Amino acid sequence: MSGAARAADPGPAAAIDPAAEPGADPASDTPAARIARWCGAYAPLPGVPDEMIGPDGTIRPAWARFLDRLGALPESEIVARFASAGRHIHDTGVAYRVYGETAERDWPLGVLPLLVEADEWRAIAAGVAQRAALLEAVLADVYGEGRLTAEGLIPAAAVAASPEYLRPLHGVAPPGGRHLHLYAVDLARGPDGGWRVLADRTQAPSGTGYALENRLVLARALPDVYNALDVERLAPFYHAFRAGLAAAAQRVEPRICLLTSGPYSDTYVEQAVLARYLGLPLVEGDDLLVQDGRLHVRTVAGLKRADVLWRRVDGDFVDPLVLNPTSRLGVPGLVEALRAGTVAMGNMPGSGLVEGAWLSPFLPALAERLLGEALRLPGLPAWWCGDPAQREAALARLDDLTLRPAAQQAQGAFTSRAFGAARDPDETARLAAALRDRPGDWVAHERIALSTAPVWDGAGLVPRRFVLRVFAAWTPDGWEVMPGGFCRIAEHADVQPVAMGAGVRAADVWVLSDAPVEPATMLPPADRAPVRRVPGLLPSRAADNLFWFGRHLERAEAMVRLATALLNGAGAVSLAREDVDTSARLRHLLRAWGAVPSAEGPAALLAAQALSGGEFWGSALAHARSARGNAASLRERLSGEAWRAVSQLLAALDPAGPADSEAALLDRAERALAVTAALSGLAQENMNRAGGWPFVELGRRLERAVNTCRFAGVFAGDGASTDDLGVLLELVDSRISYGARYILGVALAPVRDMVLLDPYNPRSVAFQVERIRERLADLSSLRRDGMPERQTRLVLALSGEIASTEADTLSPAVAEAWEARLWSVAEAVAARYFPGTSEAERPETLVALA
Amino acid sequence: MIYTLRHLTAYAYRNTVGHALCSLRLTPQSGDGQEVLSHAITVTPGPERRDDARDFFGNRAVTVTVTQPHRSFRIEARSRVRVERPAPPDPATGPSWESLREAVLASRDLGAESPLHGLAPSRRVPLVPEVSDYARESFPPGGGAVAGALDLMQRIRRDFSFDGGATDVATPLAKSFALRRGVCQDFSHIMIAGLRGLGLPAAYVSGYLRTLPPPGMKRLEGADASHAWVALWCEGRWHGFDPTNGIAAGNDHVVVARGRDYADVAPVSGIISGSGAQTLRVAVDVVPEDEEA
Repeated sequence: MSGAARAADPGPAAAIDPAAEPGADPASDTPAARIARWCGAYAPLPGVPDEMIGPDGTIRPAWARFLDRLGALPESEIVARFASAGRHIHDTGVAYRVYGETAERDWPLGVLPLLVEADEWRAIAAGVAQRAALLEAVLADVYGEGRLTAEGLIPAAAVAASPEYLRPLHGVAPPGGRHLHLYAVDLARGPDGGWRVLADRTQAPSGTGYALENRLVLARALPDVYNALDVERLAPFYHAFRAGLAAAAQRVEPRICLLTSGPYSDTYVEQAVLARYLGLPLVEGDDLLVQDGRLHVRTVAGLKRADVLWRRVDGDFVDPLVLNPTSRLGVPGLVEALRAGTVAMGNMPGSGLVEGAWLSPFLPALAERLLGEALRLPGLPAWWCGDPAQREAALARLDDLTLRPAAQQAQGAFTSRAFGAARDPDETARLAAALRDRPGDWVAHERIALSTAPVWDGAGLVPRRFVLRVFAAWTPDGWEVMPGGFCRIAEHADVQPVAMGAGVRAADVWVLSDAPVEPATMLPPADRAPVRRVPGLLPSRAADNLFWFGRHLERAEAMVRLATALLNGAGAVSLAREDVDTSARLRHLLRAWGAVPSAEGPAALLAAQALSGGEFWGSALAHARSARGNAASLRERLSGEAWRAVSQLLAALDPAGPADSEAALLDRAERALAVTAALSGLAQENMNRAGGWPFVELGRRLERAVNTCRFAGVFAGDGASTDDLGVLLELVDSRISYGARYILGVALAPVRDMVLLDPYNPRSVAFQVERIRERLADLSSLRRDGMPERQTRLVLALSGEIASTEADTLSPAVAEAWEARLWSVAEAVAARYFPGTSEAERPETLVALA
Repeated sequence: MIYTLRHLTAYAYRNTVGHALCSLRLTPQSGDGQEVLSHAITVTPGPERRDDARDFFGNRAVTVTVTQPHRSFRIEARSRVRVERPAPPDPATGPSWESLREAVLASRDLGAESPLHGLAPSRRVPLVPEVSDYARESFPPGGGAVAGALDLMQRIRRDFSFDGGATDVATPLAKSFALRRGVCQDFSHIMIAGLRGLGLPAAYVSGYLRTLPPPGMKRLEGADASHAWVALWCEGRWHGFDPTNGIAAGNDHVVVARGRDYADVAPVSGIISGSGAQTLRVAVDVVPEDEEA
């Protein structure tokens, strides 16, 4: 308990319940005593409002209701529940990336939600919807008629200077009629208690996915509290947003794709979460192609038309032909397709224009002019310095104001200066020069002290500054505001929660209804849900990743088995000549497959390298990492369990694990094999047969067939020893079935038959080839003449040959020949289903010297 | 003066290219002292689709889609253009650069000709404080805008060395400024950055120079390739300044396209699906008709 240290200034909250003092006897650990203990030291900051404590020093009703429920739980229970929620966040890979960092961080969700009462929320929602409508009207005018600039209601110079004024979009009527489908706004509560807009997000607002995950975690951790408080549900908002996107399409059942900024972007995980939740294919620019003026997705079943793109790529990057020529995230010709109206986009490229700081001073007048209403949610008082009168007004009190670049987008804005840090004289001089030469580049605005809300610091509640992000979606019924949102809140007293990053947490936002809340899910009404067994399209790139996911996992497993065999052999009592030869073959194979740098050395060293030598490209760990790389691009297609299993495989192979003995290494290998078996089972039992599963299966079966041919070639040569054959049976995990069938011990022909030809042995080459044949038969053909495609022809030929081969005609040369033919199958599969997705083809930009 | 122009751009690829989507800005414009008498663009292999359009700035842009596999790609533009440009503005008259700056900032025009498009930094022309300070020496308080631009142009001509090996199309402006070397594109970007740094509206012009000088005159730099220079907006129109040669753009210059910088007016830009190395050959002939006979 930290009550004593934190109780220096008990503050107004000390008045809550004088009956229960901090540090009370554990026997009196009643709800009231807990609440008093948690809140006893809660002291709102001077000069700013606090969400929990009202101006009169008492706890606001919403928080009193919340604490009543939370107080029913002992601290240990709360800690345990959030530890469990935290594990869920970690295991399912809910993460974000700080710009410039390569590693993802776990999502830092706070324990306490931000509570907003129904009345107050209605005012916020009305203000947010009005602002969305206003910004839409501004965009429609700037990219259309241009009356606002012509009449001087907004400065033409500021529009022209914005990097988000995308000139090729001028005159393009947005298909579906809207520039904005999703709008977000960052709000702060001012000293007078009213909400102020800090920033508008109209480019590609992020946060709806995190809001969803925050809600899932918090509702799971505090179900009793959540259910008791009549918290407004979020699901209908997402449904309405999707319906709004669909309404923008020309076709009745449109294909809506989420255009992602890719696995290396800071919010990729959120994009994957949303794609999965909304059932949208997650596509990258390379997945798309404009042909004949229409947008298509490259899929394993050929080109499929895309009707609507929800973009998370910045507008300037969506079309390298007419916009940013260096972009690799977009689709050449996309703007032309927009102009032709064959594809709709949310939000339209160029909509980032109205995020610019220059617009804020003009919004009150624009609201009167365009909507005939007063602006409900104002920004901070601001002046655009390109206007002489406004510049004079700003210069008169520049020391009290913050200067921001006028064209700067919301991203990266609000440096600490925005909150009142002082300027040094050099900077003042630089700003004066900048204001003289290019005054239109600057906006001056008043500063704001952020207000506070309670944060759980592990033992109790403390006031911390926060920013609230609210979302609005365009729906067939107009603008709808998500009843909730995404709150950034500081962990420490001196942190400004302006962006996610060190010292900032997320908090769920609970809007408390004044009427009982009906449970809601994403499910549409039954009469509107068509039955469909074949899931949406599978982009070629995703298929490529699935295929390699399967191959890398299988090769990792083979490496683990090779290392195990080496360790077992080394531990054998016999040091016979034969045993040494077998060991040499294992070592040679490990080296040939890049798992160890040299075939010489102690068996334990080689096994450790083959298992956990991440620096060797062929090691089990390297393949497991590659598999995770593939999985990272497949987040929306893999279950949380699969992602977790991949993490467990990496953990099992972690070189930092105990490795001081052969026994420890064997244990490591055993744990790794348990995970790969679990992954096989997950794929087998949980992946939809009509979705990505055939490609994981193809990759896995092809890799296993190739590996098995190689094992047979190495260990089942004409002079193979019993040790060789024993190792071979180990490698293909068939020792038990062999023993059950043949009592006399290992002999060459039966082993060869079991490893290569036996169609009933799930580890034999024959078995793999049959599964490959079946998978290829399931996949759609692009040919119209009914002839089998190349990959199918190759497999059919191999399958026939295997079926008609007798064991006594087998030789290492046959195994080698089959291995080569399997490689041809792999190449044909790649050429057919994922052409151009590998490194072989990348678009290049033509450049002519001037 | 009537010019016959030929502009050949030829790419050779090491590997076969299956798909190309290119945007061509090779068509001279009529107006502003020149008239296009004839014009044709030939693309080999023949495109599956060809679209002619005007971009935001009114430049003619031809978009071609080539879907047949190819190892070489040839674009040839031929034009006949009559050039009779009015005399360049008199540096002794016109507004001061400070009043031009205030007037432009207050403009309500966002049309293709608006000076506002020449005010902000653009893809290839960031604002660089050192370049702004360099330009400031040409603009004393109360000085004329045109006089200042002429002076800046001549200083660049004097202070910088023409050197085709020092830079390439991707060289950042700050680097060519530090080197004091480059080609027409670099000098133009530097002059534009200097003008914009002081709040003056400047644009990038791509076009051609006559290949051979009139008898007795020195051959101009940039005549064997496509050329580029700068336009300053003043008193209702854009005026050309060629910092590579230190002269106002006159009857030796043929305008093809005007934009914020090279990225807006690149003669050939596009996307190909393919891998491996490419080589590029560009040839430009600009011949006055009376010299052809």
